[in-house]
Amino acid sequence: MVQYQTVDRTLTALADPTRRGILERLGRQGVATVSELAAPAGMSLTGMKKHLRVLEQAGLVSTEKVGRTRRCSLGPKRLEDLQGWMDSYRSMVEERFDRLDELLERTKGDGS
Amino acid sequence: MSELDVAGKSLVTTPTEREIHIERVFDAPRDRVFAAHTDPELIPQWWGPRRTTTVVEELDARTGGAWRFLMRDEDGSETVFRGIFREVTPPERIVQTFEWDGMPGYVSVETADFEDLGGRTRIVSSSIFHTPEERDGFLDSGMEGGMNETFARLDELLAQ
Repeated sequence: MVQYQTVDRTLTALADPTRRGILERLGRQGVATVSELAAPAGMSLTGMKKHLRVLEQAGLVSTEKVGRTRRCSLGPKRLEDLQGWMDSYRSMVEERFDRLDELLERTKGDGS
Repeated sequence: MSELDVAGKSLVTTPTEREIHIERVFDAPRDRVFAAHTDPELIPQWWGPRRTTTVVEELDARTGGAWRFLMRDEDGSETVFRGIFREVTPPERIVQTFEWDGMPGYVSVETADFEDLGGRTRIVSSSIFHTPEERDGFLDSGMEGGMNETFARLDELLAQ
């Protein structure tokens, strides 16, 4: 069950547009300080730190204190877990609809 | 013809945080695809994973009617899915609430549109949940229940 909790944490982290914006930005520019991330988002440092903590706990972001600033970058955990999980769900839907397909094939020419 | 017009391939997306969107084309006329969703004799033949048995306890496919399906696993464990039909417009549209006893008290609303492609049919299904957490919980449980078998069947397919 551990992996589901991890997925939960990932999804919670991703459920917020600000946090998705942070990931996008870090993906683009590699490294940014907390204040560099906060300014364009129109957010206080405290607010940004809260978001970063959620992302860090999910493994999506790593932070490192350098002197008086904290540098952020993408974390060790990529989105592969989430992708795998969506693929599994898709397979489940597919199975159900495959069965519907088979039924429709079986009952072809049954009158309707 | 776009990629999505090919029968037998589902598109599953999460366009918003509270939504699951599914599309798939079936190589059968719309009235038959629709009937598979409203006929109590047809439902057990496709609803749910293969290893399970579905018993239709109630299926009143009219606006305001109720549905209740009992799904039995091969080890005998049972789970119940149920809801109310908010709109049934044959052969175009079914809007229904969806509850599962594994997540009691959480109700999602599923809208299925059946598009006539001239001998083929596209189902466009959208499930809306109250919160992102409810949706994620649902996706999570769905995976848990269906994953092992899904992988086994994928193995079979790949072995062909």
